[in-house]
Amino acid sequence: MSSAALRQPMSLKVLSNGFLAFWCIVAAFPIAWIAVMSFKTPIDAFDSNPFRVIFGPHTRTNIGGLSLIDILLGLALAGMLVRQAIRWLPGKVAEYTPNGRTGISWLVGGGAYTLVSLVLLVVVLPAVLGVLNPVLGPLGTSIVGLTTEHYEAVWIDRGFTRNFANSMIVTSGVVLVSLTVGTLAGYGLARSDSVIAFWLLVVALVFRALPHSVLVAGYLPYFITSAEWLAPIFGDAAPTLYGKPWAIIAVLVAINQPFTIWMLRSFFQNIPAELDEAARVDGCSHFGAFRRVIVPVMWPGVITTGLFSFLLAYNDFLVTSLLLDAQNMTMVPAIANMFNRETTASDEVQAIAAAVSITAPLFVLVLVFQRQIVSGLTAGAVKG
Amino acid sequence: MKKKTFAIFVGPSVFMMVLFIAAPLLSILWLSVHVTQPVYEQVEVEICTPGLLGSVCSTELKTRPLLDESGRILTQTTFVGLQSYRNVIEPEKLRSAIANGSWRELMNIRFWSALRFTLVFTILTLPLVLGTGLLIALAVNNTLQRIKGPVIFVSLLPFIITPVIGALSIRWLFIGDGILTAGLEWWLDRDIAMFAQAWTIELMMYMYRVWHVAPFAFVVFYAGLQTVNNDAVEAAIIDGASRWQRLRYVIIPHLMPLVIFLTLIHLMDAYRVFEEIVGFSASAYVISLQWLTYEFLLQDGTGARAISRASASAILTMIGVAVLLGLPLRRVWRERKGS
Amino acid sequence: MKPRHILLAGAMAMSASMAFADCTNTVPVKTISNAFPAYEIMTGVMAGCGNVESELDKDHRLKIVDAFSANPSLYSMTSLTNSTSVPMIDADLLRPLDDLIATHGSSLNPNQFIEIDGKTMAIAAFANTQHLMYREDIFSDLGIAVPTTWDEYIAAAEKIPAAGVVDYPIGHYMKDGWNLAFVFVNHFLGEGGEFFNADWTPSINNEKGVTVLERMAKLATLMDPEYLVSDTTFVTKQMQQGKIAMANLWASRAGAVNDPAESSVSGKVVMAAGLRGSERIASTIWWDGWAIAKNISDEEAAAAMKLIVASMAEDVIQANNDDAIWLAKGFVPGAAAKGAFDTAAGDAVPYPMNKYIGSMHSALGSGLAAFMTGDKDAAATLADIEAAYVSDAKEKGLLK
Repeated sequence: MSSAALRQPMSLKVLSNGFLAFWCIVAAFPIAWIAVMSFKTPIDAFDSNPFRVIFGPHTRTNIGGLSLIDILLGLALAGMLVRQAIRWLPGKVAEYTPNGRTGISWLVGGGAYTLVSLVLLVVVLPAVLGVLNPVLGPLGTSIVGLTTEHYEAVWIDRGFTRNFANSMIVTSGVVLVSLTVGTLAGYGLARSDSVIAFWLLVVALVFRALPHSVLVAGYLPYFITSAEWLAPIFGDAAPTLYGKPWAIIAVLVAINQPFTIWMLRSFFQNIPAELDEAARVDGCSHFGAFRRVIVPVMWPGVITTGLFSFLLAYNDFLVTSLLLDAQNMTMVPAIANMFNRETTASDEVQAIAAAVSITAPLFVLVLVFQRQIVSGLTAGAVKG
Repeated sequence: MKKKTFAIFVGPSVFMMVLFIAAPLLSILWLSVHVTQPVYEQVEVEICTPGLLGSVCSTELKTRPLLDESGRILTQTTFVGLQSYRNVIEPEKLRSAIANGSWRELMNIRFWSALRFTLVFTILTLPLVLGTGLLIALAVNNTLQRIKGPVIFVSLLPFIITPVIGALSIRWLFIGDGILTAGLEWWLDRDIAMFAQAWTIELMMYMYRVWHVAPFAFVVFYAGLQTVNNDAVEAAIIDGASRWQRLRYVIIPHLMPLVIFLTLIHLMDAYRVFEEIVGFSASAYVISLQWLTYEFLLQDGTGARAISRASASAILTMIGVAVLLGLPLRRVWRERKGS
Repeated sequence: MKPRHILLAGAMAMSASMAFADCTNTVPVKTISNAFPAYEIMTGVMAGCGNVESELDKDHRLKIVDAFSANPSLYSMTSLTNSTSVPMIDADLLRPLDDLIATHGSSLNPNQFIEIDGKTMAIAAFANTQHLMYREDIFSDLGIAVPTTWDEYIAAAEKIPAAGVVDYPIGHYMKDGWNLAFVFVNHFLGEGGEFFNADWTPSINNEKGVTVLERMAKLATLMDPEYLVSDTTFVTKQMQQGKIAMANLWASRAGAVNDPAESSVSGKVVMAAGLRGSERIASTIWWDGWAIAKNISDEEAAAAMKLIVASMAEDVIQANNDDAIWLAKGFVPGAAAKGAFDTAAGDAVPYPMNKYIGSMHSALGSGLAAFMTGDKDAAATLADIEAAYVSDAKEKGLLK
């Protein structure tokens, strides 16, 4: 394509990049700000002077802080890690990926990379700095107050690790089940032009529009008393659904199903029907054709849909807060619990620290799957 | 595809939706035209409760429910027709407000003021979300190749962040002397209270929703821009079309299906607006339809809830969504007929 | 670690080492309770006895009725207050505790028992009320006397801006919904009002109701204009950051306003009794405690009872003296508890324990904001609230 005709005038470039810069600040600022707050004592965190929040004088005098050299080295290391994640990691993953299972190898690769990064940032760096700081004089004296006590309180005293594990169980369960069930249905709907299929899609759309609070409040009594009304079917083995992660998984999968089947249906529609028809001519059943022809080419769309399922399950508050008990509570309702009637300012900063903590996995997720989101959507998941 | 194969493919999905969505929906419909009440008796009881200095005893006439032989509360269910719906929309007050031509009187009826806000919220944020999303998509598409990755990453943040936490983080920036309010006060040199009047709260809710959802529109549009047919663009250039004309006549028509898709999703989600009301504690000034449902559903201090009115209000919300979705869906239907 | 965690750890360490040699628990027990610090302490002690699973959930009241209706009950015991006890007692879900108290509860204070028709249904652990907290330094600078009535309070508030120390003279938990309604309930009781006629029809649209609304409007002018989003935590923070000079606040926050780790004015805030309306102190007394499920085995109930007693043992209370206004033995009221005790020594009444007030409280909660924002006048507001109450009580079968 002739690039000369597309070359942009300077004014347009400045305008467009200026707008982009403005948007990036708007997008990142609130999140960056709560991250700053989470490292300060309550007195600093809720100060109305922004500079006191950033530099945290109360935190510095009472607890300690970071020196210039800490900040510089920390930023450099973090920058390098992110850069490597974008530049180097995709190549490595592709290299070690056996026959097109990108999803799994990305999970493994991304997980390992995150782990190594964490060790570098949390263990190695502080150790090095502990040696450097006393030697460097003025560069080594702390200028910004910082405390990790809220993170310690959240993760150690309040046992947030258990909530983290629960979140992982529920989220991975929802993603797996939702995709399995949804892929089948999406494919079936894409390859059928019956009236039933059309109305099914319309009804699904209406279902998606339902206010969730009503649905969820309707479940509660049945979930709690399920041991009684399931007894005729299961006998003494009848389970109490309330508080069971797998029951929550089922509910979230169902709530998410309308969106999933719409996304996947449009995606499958863009895979030419001739492909599976050819396979059927060769003697495959519908399922055989699906497994041999469709499954190998469906991953871009499935990964994108899976990401949306992940977001829904990971971020859900309404369902998980009402239907899970303390032992199986996921992270979002656990944080909401920290803002209770008797909340103190320290509790609030702890809740902020927890909120920042649960955002971190989402960061990694987007960092790793960014390309897949765009390419999956490009491949057709939004064409219907 | 044969009916049977179709059924096997779609079966598990339909089963889950029927069990967890359709069945509760039917029960909501049933509940909205019935009222279930415990059967009460009046008894005199002596109650002693702890004071700080000693027990406080009193004899009270108490209303308490009768229990059946298995120890459960005895209830009776009666069919009330549309009474619960009438209790929600309050037709007498509506009539008098219309007769007096008083907007203020109309807005003092909770359902109608909730409907007003929900509709304005849905319709006002729609073009903002689409427009902002498109602008970001175009700008990202135009920018240097090497910064695209980080920019897309940052742009997606507001969308992926847990909604409850996103709303809280924005609230902290503004509430009391939150730093943005303090900044505004410093800049305009006057005292500002963002949570003290309806319009500032509404404004913050619109801004939050656009901040939260525009990235989704952006990423969808951006994906769409990757598939723009280069031949068509080049043909337009040869025809001497300006940058604006290329956008208007080639790119936007190409993105039109995505606009419909985003519109559908946005109408559904915005019509259910709820998190904003909670996150910004807006209920004193503005309420939404789902908030109204939630309020009926909320137990009062003694454990009772207004299930019938909550169900009626939920059904009314659904009817509203169905009407709103009608327009874009008609288009989808026509296209299906056409193809 | 926060001081509270140190105390908590201390209590748990003690439970392991000395005092609770006799609290060893072998029967599995599950508890559900609110998430107050005091419950954290008590469930912490219970956990030290073994075989206890505790769920601390501020929304526990949404679950307990259904959870205790199940047979066997999903939990062995729950925390309870004046208002959450009503549906539990109505549905007959609680076990009368008199026999268990006779065998295991000799160390309890008789003042802790909630008795209905002579049967003990729950055991209170601590009490709560609302009272005046003021900045001693500002008051002595300006020579203002400590107010005892709401009128004096307003008069004092009008003098405070002269000191030029604080942004607003007062703070008040007037967040739309439960809090705003609660302010009305307290003031209406303070004026000697009766919410209901003999047949349980509402009677708030009268002179007393209008007086209360006018006073609330007057108070609003002395507060941060964002008062309709300010809950107790917000007011506590205003106090801690030195933005207000006084507040009528929950007694359970008395510790936090003087906590040096959170408050920049610690040591300057003094507690005094709740303020009077024209009839009595416009504060209500709340109790918070434990009750045991009916649908569980006798062994489980006995184990639960022993745990409750252990969680309120004298040394636990002594180790956590300032975390709540304990009703159990061993509590020594400190400076933080003074306001609460003065309020109780006055004529403040308990928050009513009946179904009608629940419905009324909800109607007030959604109806009062229209008056505060100026959308409706006082009479229209009260009339609409009465109508909302009637419609709600009819749907719930409370009114014919």
